[in-house]
Amino acid sequence: MFETLTIYFAKKPVPCFAVIITLLPLTLIFVRKAYLDPSFKLLVFYLLLKFAIDIFMVHSAALQKNNIIYYNLSIPLYYCLISGMFYYKLSGTYSRKIVVYSMLVFSSFCIWEIFNANSNIRDLYNHRAVLYSKTIEGVLINSWILLYFYELIKSLRIPNLLNFPFFWVCSGLLLYYSSFIFIAPALHYTATWSGSLDLGVTRIIPYIFEILSAIMFSVGIYHFSAADYAKQ
Amino acid sequence: MQNSEELKWALLIASLAMLTMAFCMISFVMYYQKRRFEEEKRISDIEKNYNRLLLDTALNSEETERRRIAQDLHDDIGTMLSLTKLSLNQLSKMVGNSGNEKEDQIMKKSQTLVEETILHVRRITRDLVPTTLERFGLMEAIEEFIHKLEEDNNLAITFQANTDDFPRQGQKLELTLYRIMQELVNNAIKHASCSKIDIRLEINDQMIGLKVTDNGVGFDPEKIKENNLAGLGLLGIESRLAIVNGTVQYEKPEKGGASAFAQIPMMPVSDSKPEPLHPFRRERVNI
Ligand SMILES: Nc1ncnc2c1ncn2[C@@H]1O[C@H](COP(=O)(O)OP(=O)(O)OP(=O)(O)O)[C@@H](O)[C@H]1O
Ligand SMILES: [Mg+2]
Repeated sequence: MFETLTIYFAKKPVPCFAVIITLLPLTLIFVRKAYLDPSFKLLVFYLLLKFAIDIFMVHSAALQKNNIIYYNLSIPLYYCLISGMFYYKLSGTYSRKIVVYSMLVFSSFCIWEIFNANSNIRDLYNHRAVLYSKTIEGVLINSWILLYFYELIKSLRIPNLLNFPFFWVCSGLLLYYSSFIFIAPALHYTATWSGSLDLGVTRIIPYIFEILSAIMFSVGIYHFSAADYAKQ
Repeated sequence: MQNSEELKWALLIASLAMLTMAFCMISFVMYYQKRRFEEEKRISDIEKNYNRLLLDTALNSEETERRRIAQDLHDDIGTMLSLTKLSLNQLSKMVGNSGNEKEDQIMKKSQTLVEETILHVRRITRDLVPTTLERFGLMEAIEEFIHKLEEDNNLAITFQANTDDFPRQGQKLELTLYRIMQELVNNAIKHASCSKIDIRLEINDQMIGLKVTDNGVGFDPEKIKENNLAGLGLLGIESRLAIVNGTVQYEKPEKGGASAFAQIPMMPVSDSKPEPLHPFRRERVNI
């Protein structure tokens, strides 16, 4: 197994690096005790899940198996974890309620779309990526981020945003999801077993921003101070 | 194939545009937040300055009012009393010739009463306006103040300064220090039931420090502030200090009692000439 992974790594370094770098913010969270904050606790779960799913995907890909089912299933899970982070960070009761409802609605939509895109759900070999879900996830998460930024500006609580951990996390997420919004629907057509279309460089962009966002998470977590958090 | 090539480009451009927007958004949030903070800080600065000005004006007008009362007391009542004394003297000469013992006694009594009243009025005017402070400076004024207190209390008050000739300061600074010292000593007498008060004056290039220590019951300034027990005295000290950027700390020395340490940063001496007492000058007094 290890051998196939290393071969695959050599063949596709950027996506593989995007998987491995997830470990950086993950370890930092434990070093800086950032898990004390409920949002960062969810970030831990998100990063762990992401790492696990990515490893599965790389493993399947290395073995020449269809891994799209993991990708499809990850969408509602990621969405719930990330919007959960905003559930804790947003202050408006109204917007928090909307976040919770959006989780339920979006997850159901995702499941429906997985069945919709795959007429024969048992046929994993020809499993296809969903068309809308990832884009909708991106749009929703970006909206929560913008809403959070709006609250941040309005409340004027943070004197220096560059020292504020969650601002970095938001920026990382914003960049990653922005880079993926337009590419995600294309995967429905390109990421098929018999697909003849190759996105080329364009496909690399989300990976690059995935790496960037992991680095930004790390910078943010690095600024986390357990003492400051206790004071709040 | 042509079509897929175009699609790729479209996707690339769309993604890049989206990313640019995200970047702009993040930079905008950072920039805007910084701007808002600077603005907020400016507004709070203005507010603080304005409050200081208000306080300054209030204290100035209080001082002007004292001066006016002292002036009126001195000029009107003082003059009348002097005239009364003169008339009484004349009357006593006339009555003295008649040789009635009882009349003589009443005469004497009236004269002493008038004289005492004159002394009282003089004392009150001098208390209202610390003339010694204006003429001779802080050291002299404090010494005079202590002297007067020691006369009618059996209290040991010591006064020390770290230099022998304490340089004259701006009128405002001197008056601030003098009034603070007055309040602190008065508090010690009123509340501490102490037998010793120590006043210490320290001056260096940056600061003037005033420390008043007593050996009485002591008090907890935090508790007093929390429970809203502070009278006008402690609050007054703070507002006077706020005008000159000073600070005050209260300590509880181990051997009992209370100690207050007020510090004022040095200011360039400005026009330290004392204002003469004059009835028709009612304009702003520089404290
Ligand atoms: N030297 C001291 N020793 C013990 N207690 C003190 C001393 N100085 C102040 N206090 C306490 O602090 C309280 C507040 O003092 P403050 O000077 O503000 O008010 P006050 O003297 O009661 O009234 P005012 O000064 O307005 O006539 C006093 O009531 C007293 O209990
Ligand atoms: Mg008092």
